[in-house]
Amino acid sequence: MFEDIPVGVGIIYEGERIRGRQMQVELGGPRERYKFELVQARKLDEIEDGKIEIIGPDLPELKPGTNHPFGILIEVAGKEIEKDLEGVIERRIHEYTNFIEGFMHLNQRYDIQLRLSKKSYEKGFNSLRLLGEVLKRLFKSEMPFIEKIQITFMTDPDKVKEWYEKAMEIYEARDARARGMSDDDVDVFYGCSLCQSFAPTHLCVITPQRYANCGAISWFDGRATAKVDPKGPVFEIPKGECIDPVKGEYEGVNKVIRDKSLGEIERVQLYTAFGYPHTSCGCFEGCAFYIPELDGFGVVHRNFKGETVNGLTFVTISDLTAGGRQVDGFHGLSIEYMRSPKFLQADGGWNRVVWMPQEVKERVKEFMPPEIVDKIATENDVSNLDELREFLKEKGHPIVERWAEAPAEEAAEAPAEVTAPTLELPAGAIPIQGIPAGMGFRIILKNAKITAEKLIIKADRGK
Amino acid sequence: MSKRDLRLKINELSSALGTFKGLEIQVGRIFEEDWEEPLGPTPFPSVGTLRSWDLKLLNRYKPFYMPFCDLCCLCTFGKCDLTGDKRGACGITMAGQQSRIVLLAACIGASTHAAHARHMLNHLIEEYGRDAPLEVALNTNVEAPHIRLVCGFRPKTLRDLEDALDYVETQLVQLVAATHTGQEGDNLDFESKVFHAGMLDHVAMEVADIEQIATLGLPKGEPDTPLADLGFGSIDTSKPVIMCIGHNVLPSVDIIDYLMDHDLFGEVEVGGLCCTAHDMSRYDKRAKVIGPISWQLRFIRSGIPDLIVVDEQCLRTDVMIEAKKIGVPVIATSEKSCLGLPDRTGDDPDKIVEDLVEGRVPGVLILDPRKVGEVSVKTVMAVAPRRAGFKTLTREAVSEMAKKCRSCMECVRACPNNLPIMEAVQAAAQGDFEPLAALYDLCVGCARCESACPVDFPIITFINKAAEKEILNEKYLMRVGRGAIQDVEIREVGRAIVFGEIPGVVALVGCANYPAGGADVARIAEEFLKRRFIVLVSGCSAMNIAMTRDEDGLNLYEKYPGIFDAGGLVNVGSCVSNAHITGATIKIANIFAKRPLRANYEEIADYVYNRVGAVGVAWGAMSQKAASIAAGCWRLGIPVVVGPHGAKYRRMLLGRKEREEDWMVYDARSGEKVYVGPAPEHLFYAAETVEEALVMIAKLAMRPNDTSKGRAVKLSHYIDLYQKYYGGMPDDLHLYVRREADVPFTMRDQIMKALEEAGWVEGKIASPDPTLVDRLVRRRL
Repeated sequence: MFEDIPVGVGIIYEGERIRGRQMQVELGGPRERYKFELVQARKLDEIEDGKIEIIGPDLPELKPGTNHPFGILIEVAGKEIEKDLEGVIERRIHEYTNFIEGFMHLNQRYDIQLRLSKKSYEKGFNSLRLLGEVLKRLFKSEMPFIEKIQITFMTDPDKVKEWYEKAMEIYEARDARARGMSDDDVDVFYGCSLCQSFAPTHLCVITPQRYANCGAISWFDGRATAKVDPKGPVFEIPKGECIDPVKGEYEGVNKVIRDKSLGEIERVQLYTAFGYPHTSCGCFEGCAFYIPELDGFGVVHRNFKGETVNGLTFVTISDLTAGGRQVDGFHGLSIEYMRSPKFLQADGGWNRVVWMPQEVKERVKEFMPPEIVDKIATENDVSNLDELREFLKEKGHPIVERWAEAPAEEAAEAPAEVTAPTLELPAGAIPIQGIPAGMGFRIILKNAKITAEKLIIKADRGK
Repeated sequence: MSKRDLRLKINELSSALGTFKGLEIQVGRIFEEDWEEPLGPTPFPSVGTLRSWDLKLLNRYKPFYMPFCDLCCLCTFGKCDLTGDKRGACGITMAGQQSRIVLLAACIGASTHAAHARHMLNHLIEEYGRDAPLEVALNTNVEAPHIRLVCGFRPKTLRDLEDALDYVETQLVQLVAATHTGQEGDNLDFESKVFHAGMLDHVAMEVADIEQIATLGLPKGEPDTPLADLGFGSIDTSKPVIMCIGHNVLPSVDIIDYLMDHDLFGEVEVGGLCCTAHDMSRYDKRAKVIGPISWQLRFIRSGIPDLIVVDEQCLRTDVMIEAKKIGVPVIATSEKSCLGLPDRTGDDPDKIVEDLVEGRVPGVLILDPRKVGEVSVKTVMAVAPRRAGFKTLTREAVSEMAKKCRSCMECVRACPNNLPIMEAVQAAAQGDFEPLAALYDLCVGCARCESACPVDFPIITFINKAAEKEILNEKYLMRVGRGAIQDVEIREVGRAIVFGEIPGVVALVGCANYPAGGADVARIAEEFLKRRFIVLVSGCSAMNIAMTRDEDGLNLYEKYPGIFDAGGLVNVGSCVSNAHITGATIKIANIFAKRPLRANYEEIADYVYNRVGAVGVAWGAMSQKAASIAAGCWRLGIPVVVGPHGAKYRRMLLGRKEREEDWMVYDARSGEKVYVGPAPEHLFYAAETVEEALVMIAKLAMRPNDTSKGRAVKLSHYIDLYQKYYGGMPDDLHLYVRREADVPFTMRDQIMKALEEAGWVEGKIASPDPTLVDRLVRRRL
């Protein structure tokens, strides 16, 4: 497939790093203001299949060790190609370029940085045309729905600048559309059963407003993946009739869930952590956990190493959450879902969230209602529930009103009285870890031999 | 888990039932039922409990025997010739006898770890009390996956570990008994018992490592443990040098403590060899790691040590003779290795020091680690100045001696690797030391050549002399063993494993009996690190990979991070730390799928076998411990590749990839039997060359459960390595491509062509929910 390419092409080169002194040339990168990569869907008759064009100087004309403005424009056409797939196709440029021995690609869109190694240049990888050839073949090999592909590289500074500006507008429009798109706008969701190899009863339901738990698959990704491999683990779910728009329950989703969970899960409501919540695999990016004392949610992400405000670590919380089960109040989620207007919609959304790590807050605060941002505590504000309660009161978090309506229970329920016959032992006779002093417990004696020196049975004359 | 020996005395108790006076209740154990996970089907499994699981594997991977010895000499009927279809006096066959010896080896290995664990546990309980808590790793709930899985309880204190060891020891007695004349007669049953010994071994190793982590403050799973100095050249020879050899770190810890308490760390060098060195560096990174087991003799011969302290396992049993040659005393510290020395445990330390320094005794046995600490430091400080004038042979002297070579070739014949020793010695006689120096990297340090030499050349010393320059430069860094893999890390890599972005987990473990030097291990490690596998290392392998530098002068520890993630190089630590490697695979099953761990061996093993692309590699496997460690991997369904010397373990466990009926699994989602291809193809495989091993490791990382993307990634590596080392396309590709989506799209054209030629037909499903165990089928359609 790549016999005519002078360097290797394959997954095995993906992890390569090319340091400054090893590089022939850098395209884009932090020192260049203008750089971009862009995929555009065209009509079949608008482009010429296989055409590769270079506008500006090619590699041999670029002085070794220097950096240059750079643009990649890939135009694709095919009967099944929709505008919505542009982003998904575009993201493949990163992966494919890294497959080339001695080529490194970092970041995406307007932020790209590409480096070619001296070694590969000397081996004969000396024209962008070769890069185009590789990309062309890989695109067509992995995505057979691409019928025509035309690739343009730009190194001419004016041309790059001109297209950079166009590209920025296109990215913005694309993002606006993606963010503006609601679950009501589509007829199909996507299901992803990849994680069933770890959690056999789990199925991710991917909607425009709910990313897969792992944070790696958007609705658009789902759409493209299902097109590439229709028999694969990502598939269409016709969403069917909407049973509950607030909780996010759909007839079609329930039907698929029942089958894919082997009958374990009957119903799923997508926008709530209670009742019939979406199940959690084992690789969710974060987790919402209910704090009964405050009637609110904490949110914690995978990289948070400390203890959350209720003294549990991510490990413990995720242990309670994972495994393809429906666990009331423990909800695996992606960071992107926290940017969605449907985020825990049925439970009160952001108004119900009382604690989250600073790092997550930074990442999503742009998408939170602005008035709530400072009212949600982080590990920098409070370290236990008492402090959190004070914090919420002080900041006037909406949850406080909730308490007024229905005061939350102050403490965990007292232990239920043990009705079985008990043998009360003198306090401290057998210290057992984890059982507070003074609390009753039951001993079950198995194969116990009790030796009593004397057993006196007295007749009770009174009765 | 339990409290033992409860005695309760109640003077008077009035109750509805009656009044009891002087009531005494004695209870063997009280079980605290605070683990919400219900007890699984096989707590504390006995010899036969998991037999049906073993046979499932053994019927797929039929033992292929390679008798290392055709005779049985174990009883007075013998010797019995077992060649051909002959039977021994007891009726045993060759297959039976070979598997019986494998079982003995595995029992020796498991007993060694169990004994090591018990010795430490007794001591640590004395020092820290039975209630000392077991904090093993950061961000971790599953502190002891093996104990949870096999025994069915969660250990919380040192006391609980006694229960695990009681179990292991009891079972080992049963297994050894099975090897008596006239007991087990079936080779597959022997093999099942081998698996049992292996499983016990991993419990024992886990006990040994978590007890020392919890009490001695060794790293608790931190990925960025410090770098310790390694190699001859890292030892400051101007200071008195204590050399600690073995596996049990207790005496070394007390040496380090004594030095710290007396502010002497800067004045004495403490260097370790073999696993003791690992655990010393985990305890205090200032302790130097001299090298793997093969460095033992050459370091003694260098004359650098001023005192040798031995604990247990893999010691040179002729250490007394070797120590005498360089005039240093020996302190033995374990009942398992007394070396004929007087027991001075009860004596006044200063008196012992005096006797050692004055040379009144060649060495002493001291069974109290604290006393070892004090005596060692005092002795070495007094001995070192007296040895100041010690000289090894000069080059001229070597040259002169070498002239007496009789060209008998005995040295070459005795060498396990057939090294050109005679030529090298004769070249030295002519003043050319290069050939001798070249042996330095290849020699495993066994000194069989010396024993064989009719003129008694100290060949190891010759080689040392010739490689003098190289030895001085032998100064590397090794990332200190970190112990367990944190639960949070296991969760982190989950997605990448599911998606196949991480093509496998390769563990490079075991001893230093390499066919061509330790550099091969570094080569294997780097090949897979570059390919973004997770690479774990332990024991001697972890040391050997530190000794190879690239053109920029960096070794693998300096180039790759210590994370349990793609492209991470994780040093878990010593031999006993191997339990964390298998433990990580168990935790993958438990943490992702929430498969119950508690006393649930078969289900977890079935899970690991079908889903976790882990491969063990013991390129220089030498010991019986290596045998039992491997056996523990097999029972969990983890394939193991050994180097050419590994064939001497007497049998391989080989799959027959062409037999379609061997590679059927249940699809747990339908109950149907489906063909999944020979993945993994073998369970135990001896590779002749590094190249063969590289290709095999990549291939053995495939599992029935791979997603299409995962399989495509794994195939890319397999094909690429195959093309690199054999050329052309592998002839078994059609067995590993289930659907077209499995084909790596960067090689689509070539692969589709190869598949077409092999008459490949696309299968129905890429990855079923595979299981070998009928009861684990979730739904039957």
